[in-house]
Amino acid sequence: MQLFEGMEVKKYLTPVLNFLLTFLRQVGVMDPSQIGLFDLAAKRLAWTAQRQGVLAANIANVNTPAFQARDIQSFDRILSGTGAIEPARTQPNHLAGTAAGGLSSLLIDPAKARALDGNTVALDQQLTKVADTETTQALVTTIWKKYMGMFSMALGRSG
Amino acid sequence: MAGDLNRTLHVSATGMDAQTARLRVIAQNIANQDTTGSSPGSDPYRRQTISFESAMDRAAGVQTVQVKNIGTDGSDWPLRYDPANPASNPQGYVKLPNVNSFIEVMDMREAERSYSANLAVMQATRGMLNKTIDLLK
Repeated sequence: MQLFEGMEVKKYLTPVLNFLLTFLRQVGVMDPSQIGLFDLAAKRLAWTAQRQGVLAANIANVNTPAFQARDIQSFDRILSGTGAIEPARTQPNHLAGTAAGGLSSLLIDPAKARALDGNTVALDQQLTKVADTETTQALVTTIWKKYMGMFSMALGRSG
Repeated sequence: MAGDLNRTLHVSATGMDAQTARLRVIAQNIANQDTTGSSPGSDPYRRQTISFESAMDRAAGVQTVQVKNIGTDGSDWPLRYDPANPASNPQGYVKLPNVNSFIEVMDMREAERSYSANLAVMQATRGMLNKTIDLLK
């Protein structure tokens, strides 16, 4: 029986033990924002909320003459650190901007079609984006709940 | 977070408001499409128009929509030969309102579609809010 020889058992047990140790260490911290996944999920939730606001503004302005459809930077660009563009403050007495600072900067959606009045909002595209944002949000909240369930399990509670 | 989604609800609400105002103007035009003047040669009902503009809600940092102005359509009135009408001029012609019901109905459909789109976004946003609140359960 190969499995029960000292070397083999260690080989199989080490990753399991490592995982348990990592998990226990994380439970020991018990500050969700210190854990990579929760931090990521919180950022993604903020991103979906911001995007939903921009898309709602597009759809509200579907009949406004010369309105340009907008969108925000994709989430992977925010993760790679090229998302938000803010004026640099090189002196301590520079004031921070008063505009509501979002996670990522607005961009003008390239117009595929333009109405006679110069409006570039295409309802079907915008509603597709809304559905997409909603799905992403559902995914993130589900993962969050599942992960929290793991904590509850580790703490000996059901659910 | 939730604040952001509440702002989103507000944006959709302003969109629905604007479309409601538009529908009101359309209803007014259609209701008055046969309103002629009452004295000989007098002017009939003039078609009303509405236009929107986007407004920056600085407190919330979002772009909402509002009614820019309700104006009048300056196009010519069509004439109809109807000497028996009290509003007919000495030549027997009556000025009719410059309302084209086809245009009004098409406008109404567009307003309806835009309203539904705003409503759909509102429902989606509410779903997102509920899912976020569910995280607490």
